Amino acid sequence: MCSIRLGLALLLGVLLSLAEAWAMQVTLDLQPGLSAHAEYRPGSKDRPAVLILHGFLQTHNFPTVHNLADGLATAGYSVLTPTLTLGVSHRQQSLACEAIHTHTHEGNMREIDAWLRWLRAQGHRRIVLIGHSLGSAELLLYLQARRPGDVVHFIALSLVESRSDDQPERIEELRQAMRQRLSRGDRSLYRHPLSFCRHFNAVPQTFASYLAITPDRLLKAARALRVPATFIMGGGDERLSSGWIERLKHTGKTVIVISNANHFLDGEHEFELLDAVLAVLKQAT
Amino acid sequence: MPTLRLQQLYAFFLLLSLVLLAALGLYAHLSFQHVIQQTQEDAERAARAEVASAVAALERRLRNIAGYLASWDETRQHLTNPEYYPLWRDTRVRDSGALPASMRIGLYRPNGVILARDPSGAFPDRLPPQAHLEVRLMWQDARPVVHYPFPIRVHPDSELLLGYGLIRLEPLEELRKIGPFRYVDDANLRLRQGAEKLRRLDELTQYLDLRAQPNTVLLSALNELEQLIFFAILLSLALALAFFIALRQLIVRPIRRLTSTILHLRDDPQAEINGSINHDFYLWELKELQNAFLDYNQRLLRLHREVQQNSEIFYRQARQDPLTGVYNRRAFDEDRARLEHDKRIDECTLILFDCDHFKAINDTYGHPVGDAVIRALATCLTQALRADDRLYRLGGDEFATLMPGVPIDTARVVAERCLEQVRQYDFSRLGISEPVTISIGLAHASAPFDLTTLHRHADLAMYSAKRPGHPKIAIYEESLGALAALVSNREVSAVYAAIRQPDLLHFRYQPVVRLPQRIGEYCEALCRIHCDGQVIAPGAIFAIVQARRLDVEFDLAVIEAVRRDLRQGLPELEHGVSINISAPGIVNDQVISALLGLKADSLARKIVVEITETALITQVEAASANIARLRAAGCLVALDDFGSGYSSLRYLASMPVDMVKFDMSLIRLLEKDDLRERLIVQDIAQIVATAGYDLVAEGIEDEALLAQVEALGFTYAQGYHLDRLHASQARPQQQTAIQA
Repeated sequence: MCSIRLGLALLLGVLLSLAEAWAMQVTLDLQPGLSAHAEYRPGSKDRPAVLILHGFLQTHNFPTVHNLADGLATAGYSVLTPTLTLGVSHRQQSLACEAIHTHTHEGNMREIDAWLRWLRAQGHRRIVLIGHSLGSAELLLYLQARRPGDVVHFIALSLVESRSDDQPERIEELRQAMRQRLSRGDRSLYRHPLSFCRHFNAVPQTFASYLAITPDRLLKAARALRVPATFIMGGGDERLSSGWIERLKHTGKTVIVISNANHFLDGEHEFELLDAVLAVLKQAT
Repeated sequence: MPTLRLQQLYAFFLLLSLVLLAALGLYAHLSFQHVIQQTQEDAERAARAEVASAVAALERRLRNIAGYLASWDETRQHLTNPEYYPLWRDTRVRDSGALPASMRIGLYRPNGVILARDPSGAFPDRLPPQAHLEVRLMWQDARPVVHYPFPIRVHPDSELLLGYGLIRLEPLEELRKIGPFRYVDDANLRLRQGAEKLRRLDELTQYLDLRAQPNTVLLSALNELEQLIFFAILLSLALALAFFIALRQLIVRPIRRLTSTILHLRDDPQAEINGSINHDFYLWELKELQNAFLDYNQRLLRLHREVQQNSEIFYRQARQDPLTGVYNRRAFDEDRARLEHDKRIDECTLILFDCDHFKAINDTYGHPVGDAVIRALATCLTQALRADDRLYRLGGDEFATLMPGVPIDTARVVAERCLEQVRQYDFSRLGISEPVTISIGLAHASAPFDLTTLHRHADLAMYSAKRPGHPKIAIYEESLGALAALVSNREVSAVYAAIRQPDLLHFRYQPVVRLPQRIGEYCEALCRIHCDGQVIAPGAIFAIVQARRLDVEFDLAVIEAVRRDLRQGLPELEHGVSINISAPGIVNDQVISALLGLKADSLARKIVVEITETALITQVEAASANIARLRAAGCLVALDDFGSGYSSLRYLASMPVDMVKFDMSLIRLLEKDDLRERLIVQDIAQIVATAGYDLVAEGIEDEALLAQVEALGFTYAQGYHLDRLHASQARPQQQTAIQA
């Protein structure tokens, strides 16, 4: 069994390397002085195009995203993996927590919107959105807010609840404080833990935007989501709060838990993830 | 080669060592300086290469930093949105690690205008045109500062220019950080004036004023080595000084002390030296030398004392007669010589002692008895002499004593005491039957005196005393000069010559006439010596013969001379011959044989053998046997000098003689008025005649005396009176012979 798996891994590696050769670099001018960057792997027109969004502060080169995109492209799917600019034109690198953050969830949704438009411009009429980590949350909130009709399925990988160590009351107080700063026109930087960043250095607008992504809001959006959705979670994901997967299961959506997989679903679990996603896509189409 | 002192030798080697050490130190110092110079030059070359390498590393580093910053998203983020640029520039860039804390960055728009002015003025507001966008060096607060510009593109793959970055750095500080330098002395790293012309970072090397870092290890090692050499020299000096002191204290001083002691001992061998050198010897070898020297000296002293004692013993022995313990001839000669030069002495008396007939005693009783007699005589004389008088044994039985400052009368008393002491000594306990007597001769002289002459005079006196019928003590006087022959070399030589050549002996044949016929029957051969025109009289001859113990030899010479005369017809053919033979001669076989030969040659003649000094014939049996042999051969034997004091009736009884020859002194008693003396002579003559002996009277001077002896019954007589009678009857040729 192990030898078979090893043989498959080698074959997949060869195929992925070939698929990578097929990836196209796509630049999208969002506004003057701000251009976004993505990789596009064109596939069969008969199959829905897949947009995979990376996690918080990451790029499309993040391994989970990159490997999944290659796997799906190999399976014949057109795959677009954009990198959110986060206020940095032609952003190529993961943005450090300590960098000066001025981006917002709303700005990210606009960029998702732009990339969906780009896919449509490429002739794709059926689109599957796949997000990883906070990218899943942002796509979920995007789907709740915009409700695009050509999105046929939504797959959330390791969906997080915009996790903060603070209590909800404290988060609300912080969010209110940030709003007050915004109302005063205060754009001074503020450093506070956010998501996996212990020293997130951002303007009040950024904090206010991302702090608005609460677990309840996500669960509520999931429950209200009309698009078929599947949550693929790692059984060993330590970034999730206790009971989060159970709460997701209570949204009525399909929840697939990959045993022992961590938050990034990487390593030996990449194949299980790919198999799961392919299975979902096959079922969705 | 000149003689060197130990200290001079040491000083020479010390000086030589110092010179060598100084030369070695100088050579080492120059070598070290050369090594230091070479090392410094190598270090400077290495430093220049090292700093060039560091500059290249700095350039690579800056290129990497600039490349990273140019491709860094956050750089582009703030170029496009400079709202938070100052914050990013001042903190974020450094916090992120994208730029070292020692560097600063400034961002410029594509048109070269600074994105935001730096309040410190560290960055120019505008960059030079792109065509002149080069590395610049400038001086800020007297510190060199480099501005390193780099372009920033829209994204790494784009050619579109988004702006510029300008890294400000202090090149010397950055170079020091690249270190640590091994060769470059970074503390003294300087940039020369003119470095403003620098346009490329690699040109930094040529503007660097650098110094090579001193090779502290080498310098320290060389310094340590120099110090070591210096201390070695100091230590050598200290050691040399210590060695000098030790040499002086431990070797030179003890050797000098030893030398001084030896020199002192040379001057004073008996000096006490133990205390003078028995310290300051700390070296075992010198201590051993000292001990050996002291031991040697002690042995030498002991040896010296022994030699001295032996010398004294030898001195005494050399001057002591081993037989008697009295002084010997050597001591006598030394004392005599010393006395001769002593001007304080105004007179001196010499006494000579001589044992009478000692040779006969010695021959008769043997040498041990003779030695005992000598020892007894020495004892007697020593006891009789005064306490301060020295008794010398001059040889044989002859003793002497010197009495400086002693008058002759005192000496005479001493001599008489000596004579008496000898007389009272019981020689019979030595086995000697005969009386042992001594003759004493004294001679006195006043200063200035000649001790040789004094000795000769004493000799003469002593010979005078030895003569039969003379007092046993004789004092030299002028009248004794006739005896000088005894001690005269001429007379002694004549005697010895006569013994060797009997032809020198001539005889006066005194006729012995038979009584009462008064017919000359035989002649007594009275000898003389004719030598070198001189005639030596019988008195001198026999004194010398007796003194020199030449009896036997002279007897043989006389016999030979008589034989010669007999052959020549002397004396007359009808007369016999009487020959005097000494006491030693009568017991000597050679003499007896000569006499027998003489008789055999002259069978027709009467041969009479007169034995003199019969009292000294101790070998009576041998003498008797010889007398018998002579008589058997036809010789007549006469006992001579009977009544002179030596002959005795005992001998007369024991000797088988034919005739007894009364001594002249006994015959002369007949001329005296003393009846008692005449009666004694008459009675003795009668006794002897009664015993059957023929009596011979000698010394007949006149007819009256002849008549008396004739009346007493004497068989023969001789004397002057009879010579004259015989001469009147003799032949002319006989007269000639007698006169000769």
